[in-house]
Amino acid sequence: MTDTANTELLAGQTWQQLLRRRSFIELDALGRASALLDPASLRVLAGPFDRLESPWLEPQGITPQADDGTVIARGTVEGHPVVVAAIEQGFQGGGTGEVSGAKISQALLRAGADSRAGTPTAVVILFETGGVRLQEANLGLNAVAEICSAVLDLRPLAPVVGVVAGTVGSFGGMSIAAGLCTRLIVTPQARIGLNGPAVIEQEGGVEEFDSTDHALIWAVDGGEQRYATALADALVPDDADRIRAAVHDAIAAGVTESGRHRSQRVDVLASRLAMLDPAAAPSPRDLRRMWGGSYDPIPIPVAAAGVDTRNEPPGTRGRSWLRALTGGAAPQAIIPSVLSATAETARYLAVVPDPDNRFYRARQGQVGLTESLALAQSVRDLIEADKDAEQKRAIIAVVDLPSQAYGRNEEMAGLHQAMAVTTDAYHAARTAGHPIVALVVGTALSGGFLTHGLQANQILALDDPGVEIHAMHKAAAARITLRTVDELDQLAKTIVPMSYDVEDFAKLGFCDALLTVENADAPTPHDVETVSAAIDDAVRRARSGPLDLSNRLDSEAAVTTRHASRAVRDLLAAQWNPEP
Amino acid sequence: MQTLNYDFPARQVAARAVHIGVVASGDLEILLEPPAAGDHVDNAAVRVRTSVDGFDTVWHEVLERFFRRTSLAGRWELNDFGATPGVVTLRLRQAAEAATENETLP
Repeated sequence: MTDTANTELLAGQTWQQLLRRRSFIELDALGRASALLDPASLRVLAGPFDRLESPWLEPQGITPQADDGTVIARGTVEGHPVVVAAIEQGFQGGGTGEVSGAKISQALLRAGADSRAGTPTAVVILFETGGVRLQEANLGLNAVAEICSAVLDLRPLAPVVGVVAGTVGSFGGMSIAAGLCTRLIVTPQARIGLNGPAVIEQEGGVEEFDSTDHALIWAVDGGEQRYATALADALVPDDADRIRAAVHDAIAAGVTESGRHRSQRVDVLASRLAMLDPAAAPSPRDLRRMWGGSYDPIPIPVAAAGVDTRNEPPGTRGRSWLRALTGGAAPQAIIPSVLSATAETARYLAVVPDPDNRFYRARQGQVGLTESLALAQSVRDLIEADKDAEQKRAIIAVVDLPSQAYGRNEEMAGLHQAMAVTTDAYHAARTAGHPIVALVVGTALSGGFLTHGLQANQILALDDPGVEIHAMHKAAAARITLRTVDELDQLAKTIVPMSYDVEDFAKLGFCDALLTVENADAPTPHDVETVSAAIDDAVRRARSGPLDLSNRLDSEAAVTTRHASRAVRDLLAAQWNPEP
Repeated sequence: MQTLNYDFPARQVAARAVHIGVVASGDLEILLEPPAAGDHVDNAAVRVRTSVDGFDTVWHEVLERFFRRTSLAGRWELNDFGATPGVVTLRLRQAAEAATENETLP
């Protein structure tokens, strides 16, 4: 091993300290929680003997774990009340399922309630996850949306501290949650990204990302790189005491002033992206120099590379519905791939294909870096414009997107952080009183849907075979779970959250209406009338309903399908305070 | 996935509930609880859920050998993700040790 490699792994420690250290990475989830909390203060909630395991794994022939691989522990850190949510990386690669996800979101919500009642209660999330558990697909995806929302609910009241120690790291939608944390602590062994290297290689080819190149992976996603580009706040060695000290510092620092969170800094994201040209992509090393180690706008942004050729964008459902619903008025292109149309009472937003997108991995309508930024800007602008209005205008997210952008440049720039900026903006609008309605007219897949749609108060979908809502497209999900597409189709018949059928999606408890239309590709005047009326109803329901996402657990469908999530909520409530 | 149930005679009773291990690749978790009211106090009731089918005999052999030496009554639940017999025995011993700490095993 070279000296450089040694220095990187030591992260400021001498070798004597390294030898004496207690590794944090080698601990399991409970061991990690114990290492962070004051001795004897730890109390595990919804633990293994409560047997809240996933109801979806055993029917698929997968052995469940008694606590679904997530430890929720209450206790104190130097006297501060703290809840630790520790993801067990060994179980299903730390994948977020219905139960494990609900444990984290409900713990965040309860910490929020305690904080509002006068006892600020910090939450520490130990991210070790490959993302949404594909065996629980749509319920995992929704769980991540609820976690993101709950992080944002708690963050103004008490710090939410994220720790990514490794070795799994943080990938998938949970990295959006990591991007929302008050502070993020990483080790040199950590990795943070939206799409993992293997998935990018699978989707974009080995020339896009060689997933066997470990040096490249850590250069792009590694803890040191994230810290050097100010996408993480502290870089500490793999030492339980040092990590505990960093967590304590983060908790003692308290909440961050509103507007200063990384996920609120639309300006920084804009200036960083303005100087990133995928046609002349910098190396990860160069990126450190370009962006600097502080999260501030770059003073002299280089003008984005101009595009000479403008190919005719293909007609898509997203484009057609946006145009139809807003009365045929030409929608405004915030950027060519993000359309906005503002009517008197609502702003409509859609991500559409742009064949000339300078980010070539986002040309088919994927949600990439600049799409996340444009959506966030538009949502934030509307919040600002309506800040004194008595009735806030609605935001209608027209959803027809193949996925998020799977690309190496996207990961290097921190797609998870860009998506966190959008998620934060939608949440800010929702909690400010803007009704958010997601209208799914085509495909709504994975991180793309998390960013543009899943923070809505109300979710509507066309009842049409072309509508597909899922955590990953079928071929990729089959490859990753080592199944054939036929096997996936068979399983989807009995495992509701795995189904690609929109009628099954409607059974999960967070689809507020399925709309029957005559022509989903080219809406007829009658279709427009039907859908507009449904949107009006949804806006009305949103205005009188809760500002958080609790209706997703209280709906009629949730009572049947999401009984495990409801059991988590009830059990955490019952065990939250120790028995007298 | 296969669910297997076994009973073994036991002389000593687990003093406390213990949880050991993780359902990780090549590993398993064990939940051991003292016999509940109405359970036989001289019986180790074992339920194994394993991701690998067809190893009923091996499981029986491994468990039989363990309970012959460590005769600990209670409800044993093993959630297995392809652990080898050596790892299974190690986890069983760990669970027994934690459940009888400060006591001597028969």
